[in-house]
Amino acid sequence: MKTGERLAVLADNWLPKSKATRATWLIALAFSLVLMTLPWIVRLDGKPHADWQQFLGRFHPLAVHLPIALLLLVPLLELAGTLRPALREAAGFVLGLAFISCLGSLLLGFLLAYGGGSAGTTISRHMAGGITLTILAMFCLLARPWWERHSVAYVYPALLAGTLLALIWTAHQGGTLSHGSNYLTQYMPPELKRWTGLEEAPAAGSFYAKHINPIFDSNCVSCHGAGQVKGGLRLDTYEGVMKGGQDGIVIVAGQPEKSMLLTRVTLPTGHKQLMPAEGKPPLSAEQIAWIRAWIAQGASPSAISLAGIDLHEQQAEPPPQPVGDYSALMPEIRQMDQAQGPKLKQLSGKPEDGLILFTVDSAATFNDAQLKQFEKFAPYIVDAELGRTAVTNASFDTLKQFTHLRALHLEGTQITGDGLAKLAPLSQLTYINLSGTQVTPAAVTPLSAMKNLRHIYLYNTPAEPPPPPPPDPPSALSPNAGKSAAP
Amino acid sequence: MKQHPLCTDTEQASHVMDMAIPAEMKQEWARLQTRRHFLGRSGKVLAWAAMASLLGGRALRGDAHGPAYGQPGASDKDQFKLPNFAPKAKRAIYLFMSGGPSQVDLWDYKPGLAALYDKDIPDSVRGSQQLTGMTAGQARFPIAPSHWSFKRSGETGTWVSDLLPYTGRIADQLAIIKSTNTDAINHEPAIMLMNTGNMNAGKPCLGSWLSYGLGSMNDNLPTFMVLQTKINTHEDNQPVSSRLWSSGFLSSEYAGVGLRSAGDPVLYLTDPDGVDREVRRNMLDAVNDINRQTYQELGDPETNARISQYEMAYRMQTSVPELADLSKEPKSTWDLYGPDAREPGTFAYNCLMARRLAERGVRFTQVYKRGWDMHANVTRTLPLICGEVDRGCYALVTDLKQRGMLDDTLVVWAGEFGRTVYSQGGLTPDNYGRDHHPRCYTTWMTGGGVRTGITYGETDDYSYNVVKDPVPVRDFNATILHCLGIDHNKLTYNFQGLDQKLTGPTPASVVQGLLA
Repeated sequence: MKTGERLAVLADNWLPKSKATRATWLIALAFSLVLMTLPWIVRLDGKPHADWQQFLGRFHPLAVHLPIALLLLVPLLELAGTLRPALREAAGFVLGLAFISCLGSLLLGFLLAYGGGSAGTTISRHMAGGITLTILAMFCLLARPWWERHSVAYVYPALLAGTLLALIWTAHQGGTLSHGSNYLTQYMPPELKRWTGLEEAPAAGSFYAKHINPIFDSNCVSCHGAGQVKGGLRLDTYEGVMKGGQDGIVIVAGQPEKSMLLTRVTLPTGHKQLMPAEGKPPLSAEQIAWIRAWIAQGASPSAISLAGIDLHEQQAEPPPQPVGDYSALMPEIRQMDQAQGPKLKQLSGKPEDGLILFTVDSAATFNDAQLKQFEKFAPYIVDAELGRTAVTNASFDTLKQFTHLRALHLEGTQITGDGLAKLAPLSQLTYINLSGTQVTPAAVTPLSAMKNLRHIYLYNTPAEPPPPPPPDPPSALSPNAGKSAAP
Repeated sequence: MKQHPLCTDTEQASHVMDMAIPAEMKQEWARLQTRRHFLGRSGKVLAWAAMASLLGGRALRGDAHGPAYGQPGASDKDQFKLPNFAPKAKRAIYLFMSGGPSQVDLWDYKPGLAALYDKDIPDSVRGSQQLTGMTAGQARFPIAPSHWSFKRSGETGTWVSDLLPYTGRIADQLAIIKSTNTDAINHEPAIMLMNTGNMNAGKPCLGSWLSYGLGSMNDNLPTFMVLQTKINTHEDNQPVSSRLWSSGFLSSEYAGVGLRSAGDPVLYLTDPDGVDREVRRNMLDAVNDINRQTYQELGDPETNARISQYEMAYRMQTSVPELADLSKEPKSTWDLYGPDAREPGTFAYNCLMARRLAERGVRFTQVYKRGWDMHANVTRTLPLICGEVDRGCYALVTDLKQRGMLDDTLVVWAGEFGRTVYSQGGLTPDNYGRDHHPRCYTTWMTGGGVRTGITYGETDDYSYNVVKDPVPVRDFNATILHCLGIDHNKLTYNFQGLDQKLTGPTPASVVQGLLA
């Protein structure tokens, strides 16, 4: 057959034959055009409208799961239909239902967005997705009879695949609207985050960037962000926060009591205007205290710390690295355990968490030579308890091989600190205790270069920072002032 | 087998045939008894024999239920299984405030109460709660606002009573739990519940579970030690008994070992004249041989416990004198703990001793302070006891922190319940009493694994009911275990057909809000 003939056959198959079919197609096309122009007809202006619209609209998140489930069911039924033809018949019916429920959800979604006064890029995307999805579902419905007759083989499967893709995209946009954009990735393992390139560059070290912005991010931005701008307020950037919304500014620097943002998050539970709204959990007392202090002290974008806020900054410690397999050494570890003297114990029931070296039983006699005997266990020891032992500065030559060491106890030993720099390769080390030794300020300087070493204890050493002023004697007990009001 | 002290010894009880009951019944009993006994016993014996041969030598010995990791005699299978996950705290110090400290006067600041002086507490607040016999008969329940004012302490601005000026200084380092609550309203059941997770005696206490689960870090000292504070006769001292540090159905190796507050810390620890270390060693070796023979014959695990306790005592002959020798403590220690600490048996001394025990690898130290039971005369007694306790708590936490020990030591401060906001007995402008109050009381924790600088849970305006984040005793204990790397559902011991655990059969949960 020539190409022209082929085309003719194809066109013959394609073009609807009966008048009724032709009319159906025309109506479908017209309806699609109407749906496509809908966003221009009913503009989302970001202002709330009639209450009944919102009332009905709020059923959208509920109703929306119906078309999702039905649309997902269609390809399943089609596939299962190859084995059980009855199921294929059902697919047509389910597809029809899916289309109707798409329409219904679309309507409710419009009511929600328009009535509730939402606007923003995510909501526009979600809306466009919803419209596309409905149109695609409709054409699936029309194309299916051909496919069933085997007259056109690929149009329906292609449309159906397109529908499913549109469904996934639309549903994701919808999820972003209700849960926030970082909902899926918030608890993603850091390795995966790095791999997927989701981990953002660390923010500048200001109090706003480190503590205030994250509060807004996880509690407010799903409604007051780039995706959705309720009340004209955006809390995703510092500029947006300070600019305020349609009701005016929300932060009055230095005056927490006049800042609407603080007022709205501190209303009593159940109050209509309490934020975060709509059943989202309220901010914790700690978060509110931070916001209050931040506003009171000037709402600065750059201040590093605030007076009166003790952050107990717990920067995430590096996750422990698995120490590797030492099962071959287990008989020896068990043997030590049964005897008196130094022992290796597992940090936990998981062998990969590593071993703790305990020496307290034989502290007085445990010296550098004995420590050297533990060299073969070096990569598996995560915690070396050498407090009050007889080890000296020479121990650093052995200890530097403890590549997974996280905690090192040297309190009360003869250490003077010469050679502490040898520990620099211990990248996992977070804790070192040199209390009660003779280490000097100069000797401990190399420790400050160790990135993960956060807990350095120098109590009762020449290197100890000057002590805080001695405590005052307890104040005299004063009777309750309120008691005088008593009869 | 081991006989529980509370069990009646059936072998010695009077026989059925001697009882004053009808002869027919005796006959029937005898008939059933013989048949049942024969069938039951022979069946069991056969089954046990079959099982023993199937499971191999160790399975049916008393140590098969997952002994402490690292303990001699532990089966290889169970060794090295605990902690369940990497712990934040290696050891714990528990300051037990026996008698029930008044949360109303110490921690739970309710400024609104001042205006309600001598008003009756609303029935809606009290609900249908059953009261103790001491106040149930009272005609009215007049509100007694705290006699003391509160101050904001630390950078967190935590409200702490003027009675605790020193503890106020460490407020930023504490996790203060205002919503602790218990099911018991009287001392003995409540104190048992706090310590053993059950109001009835016979269950192992927290320290025993820990030493059973985690084992020792120092073979020269017991894993679990108890320090009792000398009683102050001006206070109302409820008794504490060794039931509170008993190992219950666990081997007695895991029971707490008490240090005496005066004289020798451990009685008869020093060798008598004419007995030197070598003689003592020879004697112990001989005794141990006999004990091992007994074990071979009877297989009672308690025999092994006896052997290991003799050995422990022998090692303690050198470790305890070193422990109790405070002469090497620097001046800064005495400046911190205060003059009380120089006198053995005071709370401050015990706090210092607890730090020394923690340094020496003792897994769990419990300090008991009695005298918090103030049914009357609060304004005289409370300052007295606060004066004894306040500085010790502050000094212990501060000392652990400066020595870098707070990173891996958990410190807990708790009593068995709180006290009522209404006055027991007459309320005068100068004095009042407070009855037991189980529905809410304040405790605190700090150290390894605990999120510090927070106040957890809230009570209503009367400090009567918990309104937010309740922490029942079982959750409190589950959280303590969690800080030490133990899943409270996994540390179990099969006894009386149940997998017994510290938190009991009611589902308990770790209080995530308290964790760092």
